[in-house]
Amino acid sequence: MALRFELANIATSSTVVPRRGKLVLDRSATGGDSSAERPATVLETPTFFKYTRHGLQPHLVPEVAAELDALPMATRVQAEDFLESDTPDCVKFGDGLHKFIALDPADILLLDTLDPTITVRVAKSTNTYMSIDSEGGTRRLTPGLFAQLTNSLRPDIIIPPADIVEEPLPSLTQGKRISKSVARSAKWLEECMAALTHPAAVFAPVVGSHSLELRTMSAKALAARHDIAGYVFNDVCLTVPLEHKLRLVNHSLRILDASKPRYMLGASAPDAVLLAVLSGIDLFDSSYPYAVTEQGLASTYVLDQDNSANVLPHCLDMWQETMFADFGPLVDGCTCFTCRSHHRSYIHHLLKTKEMLATVLLQIHNTHWYQRFFADIRRSMERGSLAADAALFMQKYDCETQLSGGIGELNRLANRPFSELSTLSAQTCSPTTKIQRKRHAEPQVVTL
Amino acid sequence: MTASDEFGHLDTPLEASNSPALTFEVFARCSKTKARASKMHLPHYKAHTPMFMPVGTMGSIKGITTKQLEALDCHVILGNTYHLGSRPGPELLEKAGGLHKFMTWDRGLLTDSGGFQMVSLLKLANITEEGVEFENPHDGQKMMLTPEMSIGLQNAIGADIMMQLDDVVSSLTTGPRVEEAMWRSVRWLDRSIKAHKRPTEQNLFPIVQGGLDVDLRTKSALELVKRDSPGYAIGGLSGGEAKGSFWRMVSLSTDILPTNKPRYCMGVGYAEDLVVCSALGVDMYDCVFPTRTARFGNALVRTGSLSLKQGRYSADFKPIDKDCDCPTCANYTRAYLHTTATKETTGCHLITVHNIAFQMRLMRDIRQAIVEDRYPAFIREFMRIRFGKTVPMWIVGALQSVNVDLTVPDSSGYSAEPVADDFQKTPNAEPEL
Repeated sequence: MALRFELANIATSSTVVPRRGKLVLDRSATGGDSSAERPATVLETPTFFKYTRHGLQPHLVPEVAAELDALPMATRVQAEDFLESDTPDCVKFGDGLHKFIALDPADILLLDTLDPTITVRVAKSTNTYMSIDSEGGTRRLTPGLFAQLTNSLRPDIIIPPADIVEEPLPSLTQGKRISKSVARSAKWLEECMAALTHPAAVFAPVVGSHSLELRTMSAKALAARHDIAGYVFNDVCLTVPLEHKLRLVNHSLRILDASKPRYMLGASAPDAVLLAVLSGIDLFDSSYPYAVTEQGLASTYVLDQDNSANVLPHCLDMWQETMFADFGPLVDGCTCFTCRSHHRSYIHHLLKTKEMLATVLLQIHNTHWYQRFFADIRRSMERGSLAADAALFMQKYDCETQLSGGIGELNRLANRPFSELSTLSAQTCSPTTKIQRKRHAEPQVVTL
Repeated sequence: MTASDEFGHLDTPLEASNSPALTFEVFARCSKTKARASKMHLPHYKAHTPMFMPVGTMGSIKGITTKQLEALDCHVILGNTYHLGSRPGPELLEKAGGLHKFMTWDRGLLTDSGGFQMVSLLKLANITEEGVEFENPHDGQKMMLTPEMSIGLQNAIGADIMMQLDDVVSSLTTGPRVEEAMWRSVRWLDRSIKAHKRPTEQNLFPIVQGGLDVDLRTKSALELVKRDSPGYAIGGLSGGEAKGSFWRMVSLSTDILPTNKPRYCMGVGYAEDLVVCSALGVDMYDCVFPTRTARFGNALVRTGSLSLKQGRYSADFKPIDKDCDCPTCANYTRAYLHTTATKETTGCHLITVHNIAFQMRLMRDIRQAIVEDRYPAFIREFMRIRFGKTVPMWIVGALQSVNVDLTVPDSSGYSAEPVADDFQKTPNAEPEL
C-alpha cells in the first residue's frame, strides 16, 4: 500500500503558501485482504477527512450518508471511541477497521488517537501512556497499544499518540511542561513505529506548543526522518487566537519537508480553513458541520466573488419562531437531500419537539455545504484569487481577522462567529437526545 | 428490503367491505385459527394485513427518514394527535396540506384521538360527559378536549385512519366506572361521527371498551357494529392486565366484530402477542416498544431480545440476526453496536432500523403463512424458537381456543410445557449457528 502526495505547484521559494495537490492511496501494492484490482483513491487537496464518532459520521447511518455524494473519499476515526477497556475487544476483529465500521473499501481511513472536538481533558498523561477519559474510567493508551490497534485494524494512515500540552498560558513552568511533551512525543513516535507490522502511512504530530525553540527541535527531528508520510498540527488545546496559532504552525512548516501533506486539527471552521489554506495547510476534517448541527443551525456561508452585500449571516438559526410557517427549503437552490425533501417548518418542528430526525437532516445539509465550500476553495485557487476571495469572505461574514495581535484584539477575537469549539461548548447534550456530551472546550477569554 | 408480495397469485377476495374511504378484502383464511390475510385500500396506500404500524409520535419515527421507512416496507405509521395538536398545531398542519405533506410521507397514516396521552401524561385530567378536562402543561390553564375537538384536530392532520375519543379506563379498574366509561365511549363515538368533516377521505374507527368484563365488552362491540364503521379497534387493553384476561377479551371482540372489516388491537407489539392475536383474528397493531427498546440498546430477534450493552457482546462478531436482511445486519456486528448503542445517535438509529425491519419481516412471514394455509405450523415453530418448552400458559390457552394445541407433540417432537409466568424474563437460548 502506498500513499503519495503530488503537489501541483512544485517550485516555490516559501513553504508557507497555499498549494493544490493530490493525495493518492494505491492499495494494489500490498497483498493481504486488499484486492489487487482496486483502483487508486485520489483526493484533490485542500480537502477534509470526514469526521466520525464511533466510526460513523454524526447522526448518519450508511444508507442516509449515501445521500451525500461527492464527499471526499477520506475518513478519520479516533481510537478513544473504541477504548471501552484497556484491552479493547475490537482488536479481535480480524477483517479490518473498514469492515468494522462498514466503510467503503476505497475510502482513505485515518486512525487518530483523540476526538478533535474535545479539548478539555481531566486525566494527565505520563511518560509511558496518554491518558484518556472514558465512561468506565481512565484509559491508558500506550504507543504499544496504539501499534497493536493499528496492526489488527489496518487503517491506511495513522497519527501516533503525542503528548498534547493543555495549559494555554505562558508561565515560568510552561517551558518544562513543553519540553517534556516534545521528548515524550518523540519517544512515543519511535516506540509506536517500531512495533508496527502493518504498513500504515504515518502522519507525525508536530509539537512544541507556543515555544518557538521547542517547535524548531520537534520539526527538525521530523524533517530528518524518511519514514514519515505527513505532518499533523494538533494544538487544539492552545486557546490563543487562530492567527497566533498559524504563526506557530508556520514556524514549524519552514523547517519541515514541504513536499509532504499537512493536516491541521481544530481549524475546521470556514474562516480558519481559509487562513490555514493560505498558510499552506492541505488537510482538515469536518468537525465544523457537526458543531453547526448540534446548535440547530443550517449553514449558508458561501465563498464567491459577489461583493454586493455588506454583512451576511453565515447560518440560519432553525430554532427561531420565524421558521414556524416557512415552507421553503433551508437554502434556496441547495441540492442536498434535506433541501430537496423537506422544508424549514418541518425541521423547526423537529427541533422544538426534540426529534432526532432534526439533527439527521441538518447534518446532511451542513456536510453537503462544507463539501461545496472546499470545492469553491479549489476553484478559487485555480483562478489565482484565493487571497482576495478569502478577504471578501472575512468581510462579508464579519470575521474580524487581523494579523497584528495585541490585547484588545485577542479578547475580541476569542468570540469569533465561526469558532466550532465554543459552538460545541455551550451545550451539555445533543439538542434532540438525552445523550450527554462531556468534555467540550470552555471558551476561555485570553488575558495577558 | 423485500416488498410485500404475499398475495401475488390471489385476485378474488373471499369476502370484502366497501366504505367511502376504505376497501377491505380478505384474500386468505387460516383453516384452523381465526387468522386472515387481507389487503386494505386506504386513500394514500394499499396496506397488507395483519400489519404492524410503527409509532411516529411527533411526526417522525425517532431519527429515521421517510425514505428509510419506505425501504423497510412500512405501510402505515402512527402520529399522536395530542402532541401534534399542541405542536405544530392544526392551523399550521392545514396550511402545510396535512401531516403527509408536512413530513413528506405518502403512504398510510393513522392518528389516535389524543385521549390516551391526556390521561397518561397529564397530572390533572378530569373526565366529564363533555370531554376530558385538563390543565395545559405550558401555562396551567384549564382546557377541554371533546370528541368534536379531537375529530377537528384529526381532520386537520388528515390521516387515512382516525380514532374516536374514548373514555379510556385502566384495564386494572373494576366497578361501575368501567360500565360508565363504556357507554360514554359509545355516546362519544356518535358525536365523533357527526363531527367528522371528511368521511370520503378519512376513516373513523370506533374503539371497543368494557375493560375485562365479558358482558360489558360484548355490549360495547355490539353497539359499535351497529354504526357500520369502516373498521374497528379493540381498546382498553395492554395496560398491565393479566394476559389470560387480555387474550379472552381480544378473542371475544373479534368474534363479534364483522369479519369483512379490519380489526385493530391497540398497543400490541411484542412478537409473541402479534403471533397469537393474529391467530385470534386481529389485523392491525401499533406499539412504541420496538422503536423505544432500540434506543436502550435492545435488538429484537426471534428468541427475544439482545441487550447489546452487555459485556458478552463486546467480541461477538456476528450480526444481530443472520436471517435479517436489514442494512444494519448487512453491515454491522453485535460487537460494533455494543460500542455505540446509547452513546451515539447513529447507534440508536442502527438498532431502530433493525427492530422495525424485524417487525415488518415477522408480519410478512405471518401473512405468507396464512396465505399458504400453514399458519399453525408457523406458530408452533415460532413458539419453539421463542420459548422452547416453557411457553407461558396464556399463550397455550389462547392458541388452544383456536385449535392449535402446543402441548401435543408435532412431527418434530416439539411440545410445550406451559409455565405460569405471563412474560419470560430471560431471552431464550440462541440456536446453534
